[in-house]
Amino acid sequence: MNIIVCVKQVQDPETPASQFRVDEAAKKVIPPPGIPPTVNQYDANAIEAAVQLKEQHGGRITVISLGKDTARDAIKQALSMGCDAGLLIDDPAFEDADAYQTANVLAAAIKSVGDYDLILCGRQASDWDQAQVPQGLAELLGIPSVTPVAGIEVTGTTLRVKRLIEDGYEVLEVPMPALLAVSNEANQPRYPTLKGIMAAARAKVDVKSAADLGVNAVGRKVQLLRLYVPKVESQIEWITGETPEEQAANLARRLREERVI
Amino acid sequence: MPSPLLNYLDWELSPAQQSVQRTVRAFVEEEALPLIADCFEAGRFPKELIPRLGALGLLGPTIPLDGPGADATSAGLICQELERGDSALRSFASVQGSLVMYPIWRYGSDEQKARYLPGMASGTIVGCFGLTEHDHGSDPARMETRAYPDGDGWVLNGVKMWITNAPLADVALIWAKVDEEGRDVVRGFLVEAGSPGYRVNEVHHKLSLRASATGEIVLEDCRVPGDAILPGVRGMRGPLSCLTEARFGIAFGVVGAAMACYESALEYAKSREQWGRPIAGFQLTQAKLVDALEWITQGQLVAYQLGRLKDAGRLTPQQVSLAKRANCRMALEVARSMRSILAGNGILLAYPVFRHMVNLETVFTYEGTHEIHTLILGADITGLEAYRG
Ligand SMILES: Cc1cc2nc3c(=O)[nH]c(=O)nc-3n(C[C@H](O)[C@H](O)[C@H](O)COP(=O)(O)OP(=O)(O)OC[C@H]3O[C@@H](n4cnc5c(N)ncnc54)[C@H](O)[C@@H]3O)c2cc1C
Repeated sequence: MNIIVCVKQVQDPETPASQFRVDEAAKKVIPPPGIPPTVNQYDANAIEAAVQLKEQHGGRITVISLGKDTARDAIKQALSMGCDAGLLIDDPAFEDADAYQTANVLAAAIKSVGDYDLILCGRQASDWDQAQVPQGLAELLGIPSVTPVAGIEVTGTTLRVKRLIEDGYEVLEVPMPALLAVSNEANQPRYPTLKGIMAAARAKVDVKSAADLGVNAVGRKVQLLRLYVPKVESQIEWITGETPEEQAANLARRLREERVI
Repeated sequence: MPSPLLNYLDWELSPAQQSVQRTVRAFVEEEALPLIADCFEAGRFPKELIPRLGALGLLGPTIPLDGPGADATSAGLICQELERGDSALRSFASVQGSLVMYPIWRYGSDEQKARYLPGMASGTIVGCFGLTEHDHGSDPARMETRAYPDGDGWVLNGVKMWITNAPLADVALIWAKVDEEGRDVVRGFLVEAGSPGYRVNEVHHKLSLRASATGEIVLEDCRVPGDAILPGVRGMRGPLSCLTEARFGIAFGVVGAAMACYESALEYAKSREQWGRPIAGFQLTQAKLVDALEWITQGQLVAYQLGRLKDAGRLTPQQVSLAKRANCRMALEVARSMRSILAGNGILLAYPVFRHMVNLETVFTYEGTHEIHTLILGADITGLEAYRG
């Protein structure tokens, strides 16, 4: 089974709020010093799902990331967890790519890698939380996609996929090749082993530019108008009353006025 | 996500070293720390972690089994992160990797390597290292345990004391004297638990390293096969070379214990208020925290340099003594000082500080006491050996 996993390196979501800053003029997030970026957590679930499928059915896993040079670390982490090969698309023209452009360049990268049975992505990236790239990518490649995925089984050339819905999940049969966007319910990503880390350290990651893949950064669909950290204001209103019963009644009235209850 | 590495001077670790450090930290924070206070209180080693240590490749990480081993700094960082959890975890891994797997790999026969190393790396076989005796701690060369050949095997007699992992061990590397042409020569024997005449008594009522299993090994006409002897080494060079390996790990490990104390005290000081303001705002508290940060940073640099020297093949036992001595003292002082910041709360197991503080009393003592390392270094710089009298 040939599996491709798309991985994004993101700002560590555990970054303390006090250290999170944006440059409003440049409309960019300022990376906090001393806190290294990490693999998007849902992508770690996708990596884990891929490695489990490889353990069950054999095959080969290629990891693809669009990002800066630092994203090499994200690819190496995937390799240390059991993936086989890595491809980094590093191109300044795509630094602020929107979901469409990202899907476009990933589609070209996937075509350059060759045949595949399954593409796994995380259901969304924790930096912008847009959840657009996986479906866009599947559309561009003309293959079926399912999101958000909580479980995958392979029987022959068909996938049985557990898809999360509001109060539970549904089970879908999907022909391969297909794209699945994996959610955290699917698994608990493993720690890389020491052997895996050492092997990943020695492994070479291919690096390509968009030009190498024959795509350019046009067709942007999203314009970022303003980027800012919203101010959270809190007001305190004391509810008074002569007796506890009266206080409770006044509280209930206020809550109803505010349409909380 | 594991908490970030304290790295005030922004020392650059390689991506692989960072990955090792983060992985072991995540493992310790998620799987070991939730158990460790209870284990310490109960006087129990968390055996359930042994297969996990093995699966992650943390047992004997530098030993090339199927693939090349880890670099020295990565191995050191493993010790640092394990000991940031508890000295008992690092002690387990040090004994298994540096004191048993290392000598088997370096001095063992091919049969011994095949019999023990894969199982020890995965954690299905636990080892221990028996050098110290009741009456011979700092002067192990005067050990009384002896082995003599009998038929096609060996018979061992003696008592080893303070042996880490002994109560759990499947195999004990016992150092014993053998008469070789009229001279006593120290040799290593791989004695399997269950050998006739082999008995372990657990050491109870410890007030330090309570989450580590320590035992006394009694050898009473203990009979082992002829191929139990380590063929590749004779004399005290054998055990001493293992100790150099383990002391290297300690120089890194205790930095982890000190970090845990510092981080705990810093967080506490920022949230604990007296006189209506956080105690971190008082100059005396800041002086303690800054001293700790400074000492830990110095300890890190010493450890990192040790790693570089080891990978370059230039590390001397004296340099390891310097680092073991300096960093153990550093960690103990940091732990005591940080304990005073937590004051009353500092004596509780709810915080890691007191546990580390009392653990470090052992680490200060074992693998060559602070004083013995002083004398090793003293002899090195003066050319005069003080310890032999
Ligand atoms: C929890 C624990 C686990 C251990 N695990 C192991 C293990 O797995 N395997 C193993 O073989 N051993 C182990 N040890 C033993 C440890 O290595 C010894 O305790 C240590 O070497 C010191 O020996 P001792 O306790 O007999 O002290 P002693 O040698 O009796 O020393 C007592 C004091 O005298 C000082 N002293 C001794 N000689 C001199 C001198 N010439 N000049 C100046 N001062 C001197 C010492 O520094 C010390 O302060 C362990 C010990 C502990 C506490």
